[in-house]
Amino acid sequence: MKKNITIALAILLTAATWISCKKDLPVDEDGLLITTRRECYVSNFELLGTDFVSVRVGSPVIDTTEQTINVTVQFGADLKNLYPQFTLAQDCKLDPKITGLTDFSDTLNPRKWTVISGDRNIRKSYSVIISVQP
Amino acid sequence: MIVNIKKNTMQHSSKYISYAFLLMASFSIFTSSCKKESYALPVASDKLQNEAIKRTLGPNIVGQQIEFAYAMAILPSKGKLVSCTAEASIAGASGTYMENRSFYTAQTGVDVGDTVGTPSVTTGTKTTVTYTVDTSAATLRYFYVIPEAARGKTVTIKFTATSSDGESISTTMGPYTIAQMDMTRNMKVSNDNMMYISIGDSTVYNAEDAAAHAASIDLVYLYRNQPDRAFNHALVAPAADTQYLPGVILPAGVNRTARLLKTFNLQDHNLAPDEQYGGIFIDDVDFQKIDLSASSNYAINLKQDAGVWVETADGKYRAYIFVNSVSSSGTAVISMKRFALK
Repeated sequence: MKKNITIALAILLTAATWISCKKDLPVDEDGLLITTRRECYVSNFELLGTDFVSVRVGSPVIDTTEQTINVTVQFGADLKNLYPQFTLAQDCKLDPKITGLTDFSDTLNPRKWTVISGDRNIRKSYSVIISVQP
Repeated sequence: MIVNIKKNTMQHSSKYISYAFLLMASFSIFTSSCKKESYALPVASDKLQNEAIKRTLGPNIVGQQIEFAYAMAILPSKGKLVSCTAEASIAGASGTYMENRSFYTAQTGVDVGDTVGTPSVTTGTKTTVTYTVDTSAATLRYFYVIPEAARGKTVTIKFTATSSDGESISTTMGPYTIAQMDMTRNMKVSNDNMMYISIGDSTVYNAEDAAAHAASIDLVYLYRNQPDRAFNHALVAPAADTQYLPGVILPAGVNRTARLLKTFNLQDHNLAPDEQYGGIFIDDVDFQKIDLSASSNYAINLKQDAGVWVETADGKYRAYIFVNSVSSSGTAVISMKRFALK
């Protein structure tokens, strides 16, 4: 009986030691998991007004080769106050982060965001080109 | 050998004692936890008793009511109720009254009132109902209409009940902060007619009257059904780009700008009391905190349940305009909460 208890305790101790010694998966400075994925692209894009309703006209045209996103917005959309929403490939992240309303009013100098792959080694800069419905 | 046997026997005995002790302890805990507690009917106090609740929710706005329910009771063997008084720290506005009916909720869920006293009499800060029936328990409702004098101040309400045995009891509710903001509901606006909105005056003008109040016109309402654009119902500052005022000839002197921020589904319960999901209350603090510095001077494509935060050009007022309803004939009903900044 005593022998069985000793064996069980030894197994538990080994398991606990193994778990505690297991190397943690790496995380980046934002606390996000760094994976092995190398995909790095924008799969969808949305623009919302201050009322959180889409101001987009038609679908966005995302060129992953040219790294551009062309969006047409409704007549009268307040370009100084828009919420951009990116959908990215799995495990990617965006730089700079979107923290709130964004000013898109300078249409001659499109705003840029960088997509960073899951392994954090590939970076692609996308330009968001806005045109207003006539 | 004998010593060893004795030692083993003693060890076994002490183990059995421990087991027995544990078993007894468990059993006693089990039985005590399962023991049914005896219940005794609470003894009713033989004193006059009272209790009050505030029935209305949300900010306390000048001109609106605050409703209370005040319950009072005494043992029938001790006496009956004689009178009930509500005393406000600031006299209520016209329309302040106390129900002379005591309500109970019928099985159908409807509140049914039984008349128990004379109609309430309000003198200064006091509103009184005198009982005319022989009753020892009643709940009366008190409706305090918030006066202009209370704006930005606090109000307390002291309820007092008296009984035939000479007893008197009181309870004080509050203090309640009265909002700085004010409210105007159900303003009708129409395309090419009642379309000039003054936030300072809290009203809507036609072109002729707008010319007479040109300096106070902050917004223009218009409706345009454009097949290739989502223009529809719009609120636009007179100084906005003319592409947002198509076909509008502004009256002389109407040229102010404003800052506008469009919202949707912010259904303030005061402005839209009939809305199904209108459980939101916009209060003074919302006007104080909102930043409209980067906002545009127009809001187009407004629908029913849309809203617009507005700051006037002179920085005197911030307002929230809610679109209660719209029609494709170019009319809309709007309601407004307004907060004076200066």
